[in-house]
Amino acid sequence: MGLKLCLSSTLKFSPISILRPISQSTKNPLRRSLLLVRALSADAAAGTTTIAPDTTPDDFRVAKAPQWKAAIDFKWIRENKEAVAANVKNRNSNANIDLVVELYDKLMNVQKEVEGLRAERNVVANRMKGKLEPSERQKLVEEGKNLKERLVTLEEDLLNLTDELQQEAQCVPNMTHPDVPVGGEDCSSIRKMVGKASEFSFSVKDHVQLGKDLNIFDFDAAAEVSGSKFYYLKNEAVMLEMGLINWAVSEVMKRGFTPLITPEIVRSSVVEKCGFQPRGTNTQVYSIEGSDQCLIGTAEIPVGGIHMDSIIPESSLPLKYVAFSHCFRTEAGAAGAATRGLYRVHQFSKVEMFILCRPEESNSFHEELIEIEEELFSSLGLHFKTIDMATQDLGAPAYRKFDVEAWMPGLGRYGEISSASNCTDYQSRRLGIRYRPESSIPPKKGKGSSTPTRFVHTLNATACAVPRMIICLLENYQQEDGSVVIPEPLRRFMGGLEIITPKIQIRC
Amino acid sequence: MGLQWCLSSTLKLSPLSILRPISQSTKIPLRRSLLVRALSAATVPTTIASAITPDDYRVVKAPQWKAAIDFKWIRENKEAVAANVKNRNFNANIDLVVELYDKLMNVQKEVEGLRAERNVVANRMKGKLEPSERQKLVEEGKNLKERLVTLEGDLLKLTDELQQEAQCVPNMTHPDVPVGGEDCSTIRKMVGKPREFSFFVKDHVQLGKDLNIFDFDAAAEVSGSKFYYLKNEAVMLELGLINWAVSEVMKRGFTPLTTPEIVRSSVVEKCGFQPRGTNTQVYSIEGSDQCLIGTAEIPVGGIHMDSIIPELSLPLKYVAFSHCFRTEAGAAGAATRGLYRVHQFSKVEMFILCRPEESNSFHKELIEIEEDLFSSLGLHFKTLDMATEDLGAPAYRKFDVEAWMPGLGRYGEISSASNCTDYQSRRLGIRYRPESSVPPKKGKGSSASTQFVHTLNATACAVPRMIVCLLENYQQQDGSVVIPEPLRPFMGGLEIITPKSK
Repeated sequence: MGLKLCLSSTLKFSPISILRPISQSTKNPLRRSLLLVRALSADAAAGTTTIAPDTTPDDFRVAKAPQWKAAIDFKWIRENKEAVAANVKNRNSNANIDLVVELYDKLMNVQKEVEGLRAERNVVANRMKGKLEPSERQKLVEEGKNLKERLVTLEEDLLNLTDELQQEAQCVPNMTHPDVPVGGEDCSSIRKMVGKASEFSFSVKDHVQLGKDLNIFDFDAAAEVSGSKFYYLKNEAVMLEMGLINWAVSEVMKRGFTPLITPEIVRSSVVEKCGFQPRGTNTQVYSIEGSDQCLIGTAEIPVGGIHMDSIIPESSLPLKYVAFSHCFRTEAGAAGAATRGLYRVHQFSKVEMFILCRPEESNSFHEELIEIEEELFSSLGLHFKTIDMATQDLGAPAYRKFDVEAWMPGLGRYGEISSASNCTDYQSRRLGIRYRPESSIPPKKGKGSSTPTRFVHTLNATACAVPRMIICLLENYQQEDGSVVIPEPLRRFMGGLEIITPKIQIRC
Repeated sequence: MGLQWCLSSTLKLSPLSILRPISQSTKIPLRRSLLVRALSAATVPTTIASAITPDDYRVVKAPQWKAAIDFKWIRENKEAVAANVKNRNFNANIDLVVELYDKLMNVQKEVEGLRAERNVVANRMKGKLEPSERQKLVEEGKNLKERLVTLEGDLLKLTDELQQEAQCVPNMTHPDVPVGGEDCSTIRKMVGKPREFSFFVKDHVQLGKDLNIFDFDAAAEVSGSKFYYLKNEAVMLELGLINWAVSEVMKRGFTPLTTPEIVRSSVVEKCGFQPRGTNTQVYSIEGSDQCLIGTAEIPVGGIHMDSIIPELSLPLKYVAFSHCFRTEAGAAGAATRGLYRVHQFSKVEMFILCRPEESNSFHKELIEIEEDLFSSLGLHFKTLDMATEDLGAPAYRKFDVEAWMPGLGRYGEISSASNCTDYQSRRLGIRYRPESSVPPKKGKGSSASTQFVHTLNATACAVPRMIVCLLENYQQQDGSVVIPEPLRPFMGGLEIITPKSK
């Protein structure tokens, strides 16, 4: 398989370095082109990238201690060591469970020692309060000093161990739903197939050709102004984009989701807590010069951040958001993959669904999310398949992931248009999102607060990734004369437009 | 006045360093509320605080690109150009520009002369010569070559120096523009009047809180200050405003566009902004020469850069939707509450490329469109003809619209319309080829020589400022907010936003 990234505790590098977007996988060039949406939302078959032989030493550099702590359940890892290790193996991750447990045990021991020493120091301090012979006092003072020195050393060890443990433990991917197929992408199973490929009586064009004839894209000017993989949308493509966004937000709102528009610049720590890696080699994340801020690759990040470091009352759950944002991705490492047109771009609009819920409900909300997606795409008349992604294609945060791949006749294959992940408590332990279960037993008078808090589960799912949808609509609804029919549900979000027709143009 | 930026040719400063957004002006604290103008106008000389670091005066390397400035014209109109610089309170040094240009012309002549001499020598060497004569010619040839190399080096340097100085020079000014500071700006038009309230008005922050449609606190944690989430009906307001604005402007014959929001920094500079100065408004991307746009004016201006447009394609009229990103550096202390001054916002921008003789009338057309749009929403506002010291370097003339914001108790800028004449097109290299009435002679090739287009830009809708206006003006006593009729079809028919029991 690929090179192992989390080699041993002697090579200390950012645990999150294994969270490389699948798009960097060189093992399957075709796969790489399909993973626009997934590249970030699932992030990285942990450690499965086939690293090209000219990988720079940077990839293995020692990273400084994480700036924040994930509330990982080390005790649980220890108690379920075999299952956790088996999961790591299934996912082809390079997390080192033995090391995690070893560090945890060490930490616990040092902690005990520290507590012991502190107790002894208290004893000494107390004894010094009483009447003492000078020689006895002197002995105690010595003892106290000695204890203090040992304590300082041990406390430092404690800090180091805590950091090391964090680094190693942050490498550990989420557990996996028992129904998820084990293996590589060829093991992913099809959950559902909707519609069938439409038959064309003429030679189909791809979206780039269609767009050119309809005068609705400009890639060349964008390459001059911004660089490759940028684009201008013109004329009816603008109406398509706006129509898709309005339609998607409206449809998901109808299903009880709270609409949001989010910041697109966020602190890099928030990006990390969601399971992405802003500063690794070949990162998908753009950073802002001179600050600790980044551009988001998906609204999952700022939405996940809304409730960070909070305790949500149970009665507020589930919280369901539908968020619109622009998304920015470097697509580093995606060289060679199909990059023509809108398929893989640096900037795009996306409508994202996000749910925070109680743990026992996340599986059913995962089903709900994929159903919403399937309904949306069906209503537009698309032909697609829903795939239960196999263990090696899950990103570190995902407990289970369903991808939707739609038929793109101009490209002659299926292309990913959305992804729905159940991240259980992976993100919430990092973002610090808890809820307080309503206790059926009223708290005793004077005993203060109620039941202890638990971590929520989080889920995210793409309602609409605009460029991929534009490809689907143009290629599937093209007519022989080059015009494109607008599917009925979108028309009222496009001022009633029913068809995009080629125009006679004056070219500049 | 402020410290002089373009001091002399010995201090090579990036000419663009004077292009500071007005928002950095400390002399007029109220002015700093000018979110939209901050970038679209770019710069007046700032009253510089005494804590300026030496960095501000560092020698900047030669500009990476050349503006096609008409030096000859500057020279021939030196007094007018200098007077204009003074009126605008800029620090461009016209004498120096002319001096460098003259030097350049002289060196150019010398170089041509030397080249001619070299050709003569080379030709003479082709013939039969006495060895001593040949030797003399060889020496002469060598001598000429050395002098040429030196002079050509001078030529390059002079060209760079001239560019740096000349790029400092702001656009000329429309004769009707009032001369002076902001108190000299004149009111072109007043529309409507402030609504009278029978109850105590709230500002948009309070209204938003009661309606549960904003979240500033979470955004401060996730991103930093001056960021925000829009929630619930505010999302519908934003989407509705964008759809409405694009739709309305399309009806008037503008081509809709969505644009990249990451662009090369050279494009930002060519539009008249300064990505890398101290207190720049521009976010840069780490590890690249790219920046985030502060306005769609930039990527739209870039579409036709380095091109020649056929005359019959003009005018080109675009309505562009984009997100805009601004650092708002140097805006400390200004009214920063709520949506008034933010780092990220949505904006619908109009942009026109036209023939020079038409730009004044298109400027009027743009401001009329803005006035129609804002009137139709029932806003009370005034249109200002901005005085010379409040024009940015690119603007020949600038109209700002300030709308009444009752919650804030004052007028706030909601849009800006600038005629940049050929300032941007000379930098972006956007020309057009006039249809020649005389058919070109056979074999003579091409037609009439090209000219620079004029460019104009105007805000159709800057969403956060519009949200402030709508919330504050349409608030009801019970805290609900009525949606003006033209927006309702773009908001699924929503007529009113009501407080919810929480």
